[in-house]
Amino acid sequence: MSTRVLLHVGTPKTGTSYLQDVLFRNQRTLAAAGILYPADRFDAHFLAALDLMRMPWGGLEKQAVGQWDKLAKKVRKHDGTSIISHEILATASRAQVGRALTSLGHDDGTEIHVVISVRDLVRQIPAEWQENVKHRAALSYRAFLDQIQDPRREERISTWFWGVQELPEILDRWGDDLPPERIHLVTVPPVGGPQDLLWQRFSKAFGLDGLDLTLEAERTNPSLGVPETALVRRINRAANQELEPRDYRPLVRELLAHQTLSRRVDSPRLALPPDLHPWVSQVTASWVDEIERRGYDVVGDLGDLAGAPPVTDYVDPDHPDEAQVADAAVDALRAVLLEGSRWQRREGELRAELDDAYKALERSYLRPTYRWRERTVRRLQNSGLGRRGLSAYRRLRGRSSPPA
Amino acid sequence: MADVVYLHVGAPKTGTTYIQDRLALNRPQLARHDVRYPLGARGDMFHAALDLIERPWGGMLPDAKGEWDALVKRTRRADGRVVISHEILAGATGEQVERAVASLAPAEIHVVVTARDLARQVPAEWQERLKHQGRMRYGKFVRRIQKPRSAIGRSFWQVQGLVQVLERWSRQLPPERVHVVTVPQPGAPHGELWRRFCRAVDVDPAWAPLDSVRRNPSIGAPESAMLRQLNDRLRGTELEHADYRTLVRHLIVHETLATAPVQQRLTLPPDCYDWAEEIFGSWREWIVGSGVDVVGDVADLRPVRPAPDAVWHDPDRTRPRQVADAALDALVAMIEEAARRDDPDEHLSARVTKAAKRLRER
Amino acid sequence: MSGDGETPGIRRAWGWAAHLRDGGTTPWRDWAVEGTAHGRHLPGAQQLELLRRLNAAGDVSDGLATRVLEASAPGRGRPDLELVGSVDVLAFGPPPVDPADLSADELLRVAAGLLAEDVHAAGLPVAGTVRPRPWRTRYRLVGDPMLADPRRADLGSRGRPPGGRNELVVVLGTDVAQMMVDIWTARSIGVGTTPWGEWVRRARRLDALPRRIDLPRVARTAAERVGVRRVRVVLDVDALPRLVGVRRPLAAAPELSADAVELARRTGQVLGLLATPVERAALLREVLVPRLAEHPGPALVLPRRHVEWVRGHARTMRDELARAGYPVHGDPDGLLPVDRPGVTRPSDAGVLALALRLLLEKKSI
Repeated sequence: MSTRVLLHVGTPKTGTSYLQDVLFRNQRTLAAAGILYPADRFDAHFLAALDLMRMPWGGLEKQAVGQWDKLAKKVRKHDGTSIISHEILATASRAQVGRALTSLGHDDGTEIHVVISVRDLVRQIPAEWQENVKHRAALSYRAFLDQIQDPRREERISTWFWGVQELPEILDRWGDDLPPERIHLVTVPPVGGPQDLLWQRFSKAFGLDGLDLTLEAERTNPSLGVPETALVRRINRAANQELEPRDYRPLVRELLAHQTLSRRVDSPRLALPPDLHPWVSQVTASWVDEIERRGYDVVGDLGDLAGAPPVTDYVDPDHPDEAQVADAAVDALRAVLLEGSRWQRREGELRAELDDAYKALERSYLRPTYRWRERTVRRLQNSGLGRRGLSAYRRLRGRSSPPA
Repeated sequence: MADVVYLHVGAPKTGTTYIQDRLALNRPQLARHDVRYPLGARGDMFHAALDLIERPWGGMLPDAKGEWDALVKRTRRADGRVVISHEILAGATGEQVERAVASLAPAEIHVVVTARDLARQVPAEWQERLKHQGRMRYGKFVRRIQKPRSAIGRSFWQVQGLVQVLERWSRQLPPERVHVVTVPQPGAPHGELWRRFCRAVDVDPAWAPLDSVRRNPSIGAPESAMLRQLNDRLRGTELEHADYRTLVRHLIVHETLATAPVQQRLTLPPDCYDWAEEIFGSWREWIVGSGVDVVGDVADLRPVRPAPDAVWHDPDRTRPRQVADAALDALVAMIEEAARRDDPDEHLSARVTKAAKRLRER
Repeated sequence: MSGDGETPGIRRAWGWAAHLRDGGTTPWRDWAVEGTAHGRHLPGAQQLELLRRLNAAGDVSDGLATRVLEASAPGRGRPDLELVGSVDVLAFGPPPVDPADLSADELLRVAAGLLAEDVHAAGLPVAGTVRPRPWRTRYRLVGDPMLADPRRADLGSRGRPPGGRNELVVVLGTDVAQMMVDIWTARSIGVGTTPWGEWVRRARRLDALPRRIDLPRVARTAAERVGVRRVRVVLDVDALPRLVGVRRPLAAAPELSADAVELARRTGQVLGLLATPVERAALLREVLVPRLAEHPGPALVLPRRHVEWVRGHARTMRDELARAGYPVHGDPDGLLPVDRPGVTRPSDAGVLALALRLLLEKKSI
């Protein structure tokens, strides 16, 4: 059984992917130091979290069945410190938290710590809107801001937003049964500070100081500017009805948002509208008061949560510079065209290969003995070319229209 | 060998596609009246025409080798009247015209040229170039074509210079065998162009009742601006001509942008009408003086000036929002198309299991 | 729900929880007795209200009551909500609610989660293997899945699995409006799909029938594979047994009310988190659907405003099939939409009531 478990439960957009990346790549070094980060794939903890919270995620949940128990079992078997990290854990219900803690050995004496990395709302709010848009949301920035300000919190967007951002509430759920010294907040430093300050804080919180870890170059979280986000939102509005989630992911999110539009770094950035700063300051102040009152451990400085002052050159993403949007759209169009043409070419190459394999298969059927045929089929099946040939046998047999 | 061969040689952007469509649709009926439109295996006579005029055409020339001779062969096999039609024939040089005429001897050859006023031809030609990856701005294009010796000017007038085209194609023909069919101005009853064409080739319109549903796929000023920007952005990429044809010309322009009603029509810049009128004057003079057969009215070729308070939509200065909207429409269409096609590798691996299972059951 | 349970509001909430655990049905608004905390945390308003409704609907076992109170609401949506009046001022978190105001949809989140657990726990019945008979008609059933799937399964259990040399491909169909309902039903009890209204609207927007019921297309694909002469279109399902070489009639799909299908769809969503896709489909089909079939109710029909659109497609299909010349068993006009009694969409209240009934039934299984 692990003597210590560090449960990193949130929040999104606070460098969690980078942390998880480092942990994943350095599993062996960590293990040598007695630290377990159990992940056979880079999204193992994400799937475990989906499993724990019974959360559908555009089809990915199929791979999540049983993943939490698998993870918990590894943690219990380990002797030393274990680290679990994924930011969607923040929204776990009390019952799910209870199940998680129990499964990790909470009732059997394991020392469970909850770690939460936090960033100022001034940056979190626009980042969350963009994240929503990259996940097919078509609502305007203004609509988003209105929803999250609505105290009734009946909409899905605001439920999710506060579920992953509202620190005292999250720590209430996760930390209800834990002494305050086992709850650690890691604050993300403001922009402009030393490059690796955040990593130093993570390292301290997770007990990684002094270890020789491969820290890859700072992975810039591909973020979109104002015109680019506006464009993706318009795409969502126009295409959501027809486009399936499994097509949206590779085409819009991956190809367009992450690989193409995020390269346009000179466009204006998303920001919190200046008129929302007073409300945000108020909320933040109430959180800081509550956190201090509860006596949690802070790695960093709660002052970081105040965030930058209001921007002077605020650009409204609901009324972007249309020339910039047009430019981004043409860029995106170019990217999709090139991708489409690459596929056409690849299909042409494959067809040519298949043609050859088909001929070979045909020849095999002219032989008399069935056993000989069987052997050929099996041999073809076992070779890559042959496999393709078998499918060609089906596809090229008179099908004039592209396969469904 | 056919008795009479009508060579409809152009001009481009004068409704030729509609005419060819209608001829193709009604082939059996026309054949019953001894009028033949000898398509081979292809859907139109583009490759035959390309073979004659010998332009590279985005890599398609090699594919066209021998097609003109094949067309001639089919014409020889026919009897009665034969109609040959493709608008790129307008650009044939004098030598190529001689070759064409010689190959069709001893049939009685007529030349038919559908003609439209210059004010509509200029924007149409610019748009056509855009659809072939053109990147030149409209203003520059218009200026260049007013200089007949510039590269653009030469290629434009080679096909759109009515007098020059007529002169080259009618060199060996008596004027009564040269027919100028004028495209009526907008507002004429539907099918008027077709009826005029029929008169020119001595066909009763009733022999070809099936109407083509293909509408002229033209796009407005903002869409043209967007297309130009896209072509600019595609420069230097590895997008092949074939892919450009399928994805940009067909999917984006014809099937997406052109399906919406045109909001801001592309027209001749207002300060060019005097020049266009001058050209018209020279056309009219030549036509009247030469005695060629005119089906329609030469007055149809006079550029129609816009109303004095009309707004001119300059594609070089469009409102960015409209360009953004056009780009968005195209983008969404492309994304949906890409989604429909799937990743070819994914496809094959899914089908291997199925196919292997089926084979085992045999 | 924070730390101390000392306020009168909280004690009142614990009192109510205990009352519900004992089978009580008093609404929260009318409850005034305080109680003591037992358990780590107070259950959310959704869970408490669901238990109250269960109590009102029947006899709830201790086990079930515990499960309800400890359940989470799976998936996305509002988290565990506080009871209004149990806490005075909430500094953080969503505002407290009166559980009586919770929508059926909210309560269904919890109910579907519990039902999914039940289905998963029931497990699949052990299937015996049946040896295929040697001299059997080779066939393949395609087309409307609610016509094809149960009959294919029945034939399989009679030793006549699909496929084989020179197979006859039978394209099964019925009136198009019913086929639309059938496709959605098949998806709901299979791989999952969007809610009915959304699904129909999408099909309408794409102006195309789902591929599996585009009978000419299905027939064409089959003909390309086995030849035109081996394709049969069957619009009268009674003609099928003879075609595939059996005498007794074949099993039809169980009749499910609109609410039942919707409940299966929602349960399937959660089941997808508990079982692999193949298991999930099998569990829905073998465990949940039979139980749902025991609760008759109005069937789902296509809303009137979509019937005209569908009629146009039906006519096109009928004409195309005639042109293509496949042998057709049954009246080709049978493809045209027929007026059937039923409801145009499931109702959340009905779905919830059905879920409650199934949860209460559990002990009898």
